[in-house]
Amino acid sequence: MLSRVADSLYWLGRYVERAENLARMVEVTRRDALETFINQIREDIWKPVIYATSLSNDLTQEQEDSIKEDPAYYITLAEVNPMSIAACISLARENARTVRDQLSEEMWLELNSINLYMKSGKAARAYQSDPETLFRKIIRFSIIFQGLSQSTIEHDEGWHFSRLGKFIERADKTSRILDTLTFFRGKPSSFSTMAVLRSCSGFTAFRSQYRVETSLRNVVSFLFFSPDFPRSIRFCLRRIDSALLEISGTPQGTYSNEAERLTGSTLAMLNFTGIDQLLEDGLHERIDDIQKRLNEIGQNIFENYVLLPSEIRKVVRTEGLQTSLMQQHQQQ
Amino acid sequence: MFSQYQTEGFFDEMFSSPEGGSFEHYQEIEKVIASMSDDQLREKQRHTESSFLEQGVTFTVYGDTDSGTERIFPFDLIPRVIPSHEWTQIEDGLTQRIIALNLFLTDIYHEGKILKDKIIPEDVVKSAAHYCKQMENLKVPGDIYIHICGSDLIRDDKGNYLVLEDNGRCPSGASYLLENREAMKRAFPKLYQSLGVRPVGSYPATLRKTLEFLSPRQTGTPVCVLLTPGLYNSAYFEHSFLAKQMGIEIVEGRDLIATDGYVYMRTTRGLVQVDVIYRRVDDHFLDPLEFRKDSLLGVPGIMQAYLKGNVALANAPGTGVADDKVTYAYVPDMIRYYLDQEPILGSVPTFLGWREADRSHILENLESLVVKSANESGGYGMLMGPTSTKKERAEFAEKIKEDPRDFVAQPVVSLSRHPTICPEGVEGRHVDLRPYILYGEDIEIIPGGLTRVALTKGSLVVNSSQGGGSKDTWVL
Repeated sequence: MLSRVADSLYWLGRYVERAENLARMVEVTRRDALETFINQIREDIWKPVIYATSLSNDLTQEQEDSIKEDPAYYITLAEVNPMSIAACISLARENARTVRDQLSEEMWLELNSINLYMKSGKAARAYQSDPETLFRKIIRFSIIFQGLSQSTIEHDEGWHFSRLGKFIERADKTSRILDTLTFFRGKPSSFSTMAVLRSCSGFTAFRSQYRVETSLRNVVSFLFFSPDFPRSIRFCLRRIDSALLEISGTPQGTYSNEAERLTGSTLAMLNFTGIDQLLEDGLHERIDDIQKRLNEIGQNIFENYVLLPSEIRKVVRTEGLQTSLMQQHQQQ
Repeated sequence: MFSQYQTEGFFDEMFSSPEGGSFEHYQEIEKVIASMSDDQLREKQRHTESSFLEQGVTFTVYGDTDSGTERIFPFDLIPRVIPSHEWTQIEDGLTQRIIALNLFLTDIYHEGKILKDKIIPEDVVKSAAHYCKQMENLKVPGDIYIHICGSDLIRDDKGNYLVLEDNGRCPSGASYLLENREAMKRAFPKLYQSLGVRPVGSYPATLRKTLEFLSPRQTGTPVCVLLTPGLYNSAYFEHSFLAKQMGIEIVEGRDLIATDGYVYMRTTRGLVQVDVIYRRVDDHFLDPLEFRKDSLLGVPGIMQAYLKGNVALANAPGTGVADDKVTYAYVPDMIRYYLDQEPILGSVPTFLGWREADRSHILENLESLVVKSANESGGYGMLMGPTSTKKERAEFAEKIKEDPRDFVAQPVVSLSRHPTICPEGVEGRHVDLRPYILYGEDIEIIPGGLTRVALTKGSLVVNSSQGGGSKDTWVL
């Protein structure tokens, strides 16, 4: 498979997943914000979400203004936001366009029509009159698209690349949603922990496993370590591990490249660390660590399958998650 | 439906005369269309167009905004029909023409007999913008330079088919032809079946066969790729469509690497050698080491690999000299010279700016002529005499005096018209025809072609970038 095609499929997977996760977060936060009439509290509700969904902490004046005016609109449709939901869908479609021959006609139609919808005035009108329907539509699109990917195309190398993108993105987003709990000092309210669970669509699954109050400890444990919940970080890492091994044809439990080694070791860490240890190390620190590792895995996939050995030297390695993420986005 | 229809003195594809009714080969179609109301027809049309948009059957127009706007190629539901005896003549004429053009290219890049015999002035050939010095004395497989050709045909006021242009570089449009056919089969299944229209669906397979024929490696299945300028090219849809239909990779310049005289593509499993490149990138952008240095679309070193015979390019570099608008004037002479035959298809009388007598004729008659720049395509850089303003004519006169080699002029040929669905009902609109010719082991012409329609009333410009649309072409 062409390296560029693998890269595009990977990003297609990531952007579709990202659009869905953003939609979930905005919808949950928007509803919670409805419950409060105090401006300061409303701003505090949105702050961590804006932080979790932005690529950079340096916002322009235009962006600041847009966020102040309507944070939900900023994340969903604002043109000044380069990573709005609409932008993610448009980027997904751009990537899909270059690899159309790898997708089924139905997948293309779904993606193309949601993109047309977001670009037409219809999405903006729906946002004003019936936002819930808009967010549902976006989430449904992602689910249908991923379902079609599951059931209408060959599960070949390219499919594994888009799955890699999807699960790396999902693990990253789950970790970012969890990180909103560490945004303010002090113990997060039960209100916030509930919101985190709902943003990950994990409320029902959590209940069936814990049947107790939504304590911080339980929620973190669930979203980090659950072996069965499809949005937990551990679950995503397992999928990343198996997709990588499928691509290179390497047996389970071994590795043939750096991306596989990193994934394996991260997975081992998750398998053998308990919640107590994690909370002792500090939630924010562990989340940061996970995000760095995910980022390195992505970078190594890129170096291994897309770049030629002679080109790797040219890629500047930078510390700091945000800068590196920015660079990856620029490598379209 | 057709009761208000006026042929207005033009040759009409469907109606032999205002009173005389439709030609025999159109009678079935007239009956079906006439039985529908305006609204029904428009509804069908809307339905087809929205399905094109949803499927992304689009092209990109530049100029509106920086990144270009995606549009569908407007499509008209009333098919253009060509009866079999007319098609036979077209086929024979195009076959004769592509053979002559390839003999010409072989000749000028080797001995130059036609130049020595003074049939065509050496100056005209060597000064052409697309003359490619690197091709001199290079033996190409089968002596074929133009493997894929899309000549534009028009019909004059008597209904004679004339060649307007030979597109021997990277003719586009074949994908629209195939998509149009699918749309017509959905819109008029019964009518289509009852007429016994010749199928066009084998084009991608034939194209692939034509490409594989060129492979320098004769063992195993040749690795063929389609080289596109990229996502933002106006014809990107076509590139990805054809690659998918042929089952070959679509690559961009950055996917290929040329080292030690071979071309490889970059895959997740390492480098894979490429044998044949169906390139949709212009000569000048192919290789920054040989041509334009600023090209980001090409592959450094690809020409070296080509000259060594390790990779095939379709079409070959340097074919543009044969479809130059000045060279066009000499094609009938070429046919006589190389084949000792009279041209089967006529061409449009052409005045050449560099000939003194012709130039003064052009400058004196700007109002009645169509002036074209020799090396522009897509309907850009031309002057439509009869509809031009005084200012435009003055500007063109200056340009012609400045660079006479770059301009040719032709009398306005009143292109034939075809009934077309318009906002005020069915009206006549001017059409041309672009058939696709493939030259590999054999010469094969896809039965039909892209009928392009000038949708603006009275307009003679059919290019998609200038408000043109298309129709399906049914060869019986």
